[in-house]
Amino acid sequence: MNAVLQPYTPIALRNVTFTYAGATEPALRDVTLAVPAGQICAVIGRAGAGKSTLCALCTGFVPHFFRGRLSGDAVVDGLSIASHPIAELVRHVALVSGNAFSQISGARFTVYDEVAFGLENLGVPRPEMIERVEWALRALGIDHLRDRSPYDLSGGQQQRIVIAAALAMRPPVLALDEPTSQLDPPAMAELADVLRALSRQGITMLVAEHRLEWIADLAERVVALDRGAILADGAPADVLTDPRLCEHGIGWPRPAQMAARARAEGRWAPDRPLPITVAGLAAGLRAAASDQDSVNGQDNASCLPAMRPQNELDGVSPIDRDAEPIVTLDEVRFTYPTGVAALRGVSLTVRRGERIALVGRNGAGKSTLVRHLNGLLRPSQGRTLVGGVDTRTTTVARCARHVGVVFQDVRNQLFARTVRDEIRFGPRNLGFTPEKVHALVEAAIDALDLRDVVDEHPYDLPPARRRLVAIAAVLAMDTALLVLDEPTAGLDNASIGLLMRLIDDLAARQRSVLVVSHDLDFCYETLDRVVLMRDGQIALDRRFAELDDAEMEALDEDVGLPIALRLRYVSM
Amino acid sequence: MQRTGLFIERAGFLQRLNPLTKVTGVLLLIGATFLLPAPLTGAALLAGVLLPLAFVSLIGRRFLDILLKTLLPALISLVLVQGLFFPTSDPTTVAVGPLLFRRAGLQFALNTGSRLLVVAGAPLLLFQTTHPGTLVQGLIQSGMPRSIGYILLVALQLIPAISERAVGVAEAQRARGLETEGNVLQRIRGVLPLISPLIVGALVEAEARAIAIEARAFNAPGPKTWLRDIPDPRAEYAARIMMLAALGALIVWRIAWFFSG
Repeated sequence: MNAVLQPYTPIALRNVTFTYAGATEPALRDVTLAVPAGQICAVIGRAGAGKSTLCALCTGFVPHFFRGRLSGDAVVDGLSIASHPIAELVRHVALVSGNAFSQISGARFTVYDEVAFGLENLGVPRPEMIERVEWALRALGIDHLRDRSPYDLSGGQQQRIVIAAALAMRPPVLALDEPTSQLDPPAMAELADVLRALSRQGITMLVAEHRLEWIADLAERVVALDRGAILADGAPADVLTDPRLCEHGIGWPRPAQMAARARAEGRWAPDRPLPITVAGLAAGLRAAASDQDSVNGQDNASCLPAMRPQNELDGVSPIDRDAEPIVTLDEVRFTYPTGVAALRGVSLTVRRGERIALVGRNGAGKSTLVRHLNGLLRPSQGRTLVGGVDTRTTTVARCARHVGVVFQDVRNQLFARTVRDEIRFGPRNLGFTPEKVHALVEAAIDALDLRDVVDEHPYDLPPARRRLVAIAAVLAMDTALLVLDEPTAGLDNASIGLLMRLIDDLAARQRSVLVVSHDLDFCYETLDRVVLMRDGQIALDRRFAELDDAEMEALDEDVGLPIALRLRYVSM
Repeated sequence: MQRTGLFIERAGFLQRLNPLTKVTGVLLLIGATFLLPAPLTGAALLAGVLLPLAFVSLIGRRFLDILLKTLLPALISLVLVQGLFFPTSDPTTVAVGPLLFRRAGLQFALNTGSRLLVVAGAPLLLFQTTHPGTLVQGLIQSGMPRSIGYILLVALQLIPAISERAVGVAEAQRARGLETEGNVLQRIRGVLPLISPLIVGALVEAEARAIAIEARAFNAPGPKTWLRDIPDPRAEYAARIMMLAALGALIVWRIAWFFSG
């Protein structure tokens, strides 16, 4: 008799439980998962839910690099993880994680050589090595960077190098841990295309990711983790609209949320399933609109979902255009010592109570502009007033009384032994009384939901909470303007919700917020005014609610549109 | 940002040579400077070998520029100190303006100074004409452990990266009201928030990098291959043997001379 032929299962986990050495709670609990060949399996969950541990397990870094207690069976590409060293597993499975900078080997001087580094170590013959490197560079669209130093490139470009380097090793299984964390929307779409092409070639992928909209478009299957255990596992359309996701703080992709809201308002057929993609949302809304048309002949546009920013719905008073200015840039030009003219005549006023999104492509001048807001950079021409004082006649520390900045790389900021000490540092520098420092610190701890970790070392927290600590540390300085550079990078939906509430609360207290972000949906839902930078100049400065067609087109061209505006834009 | 150390990309003579040939040349030159007893050996090697090589490698000006900028203070003090105070029974002096130099002292300064120039100049020429990646690959292919090669290259590339990080740390802390522009006391208070993110960052970075190179199969068993081929013509191999033989001969000759003298 023929034995039943078991189909080849590249990732086969059975009852896997793993507890990191020194930890009391397991990071993975009784996980059973079989991923067939060529499948793109997404792993979602809150920060600390076990996504990264799962990726590390499938590549052998758990338990061979990060030690701990492992039970159950983990077999990847036919090899038992527990009984094979990483050096052997790398031929079968590759790991790409979110922080690209630290994954660059440092041993090679050009992008081309960097991508070849792993192949040299595997002993791939030279002609094949060249062929694979060329393929990987083309697949990730970084062919033109081949002779550059990997260290001279942007985070998004470095991310693509790291993925290219992993792909060149041609592993049958690929584990990607938050691969989009440093990518802008166009780069995310390109990466999705690359991964789909790889899937067609039979490569099996495990993709841990916070960006549910991206997952909804890409994955063939979604596994939701909660505190190390599988909460839901199935087709994206089912898992991503599972009510348990909301109960456990993971949330739904935006199209599902918007359709749910539309359903509550009677603009979505009750029996129609919730969509997870924008296309599905648009189709459902059109269907609902034509139904209503036939009933009462209403105009299409009135059936579209709430498209105005959340805050206007909340009834927050509109911006007072004569409110006191916090920062004023007056025809500011700035040229770096290298000769790069980063700002070419920028005028901008930030008033009390404003919520501003600063958007633009990489290299448009956003970072340079942010560094002018607190005097870190001083104009080559023109002038910047912070709290009414010219930045050329004051110090950065004095500007910090008016403007607090949280930079994107929080590693540069955190240094204290405990979360509380870290948050206390800023207000103490500003010379507040001990009572005021105490009150501000405690308020910031509560605002960012850090009460349970106040005595821990910031570096012992998962990266997402570390970012919240960095934000709390600047929030506690109680400045008139809070500047956040890419605050949502790597945050789960629950933390993003926290951030949204914080911004609303600040606006209600007449504090201003300026957010630099690629996440247009977050900007649209949380902020009022959008400033688009292009080539060192302000190309657009409007309130979201007042954008006209031409302005939306300009925004779309450079940074894309939020889903809500995309629907309106497409339907017109 | 320059991440390849002293290397200058030119299509000159030394740039075409195998790095091992150049390393052997450096060893021979440094050996010869000390082993050859004749006065002015250093000066002769500098003018007769190093400078012509630098010029046929199209980097003569930048070679001299770095060599002199680095060593000029040492050379001047050598001439002054040895020229004026060299202990000698030879009463001959040379007057330069109001200063009376002892002839033996000047000679000593000239010998030592020109040797110094060769000892510093030969490796400088090696680094200016050899890409660090090629140099390390050459050394690994001739037996140096790969891990040492890796450490050398990472250090070279990460030093500029760390200095960029330092700028980022200073920006983040100044934005939190840390006064770095004030008096000494304020600046000392500001050191901890500036240094600790760098150190913690470096430790975290070290772990991440260990994962990164593991993930790139650095420790995979089996033979390795190289993307780039470093040409090693037979003539260069022969040249290396001859240079090593010459160095050996010099050592033997010097020892014999020492015992016979």
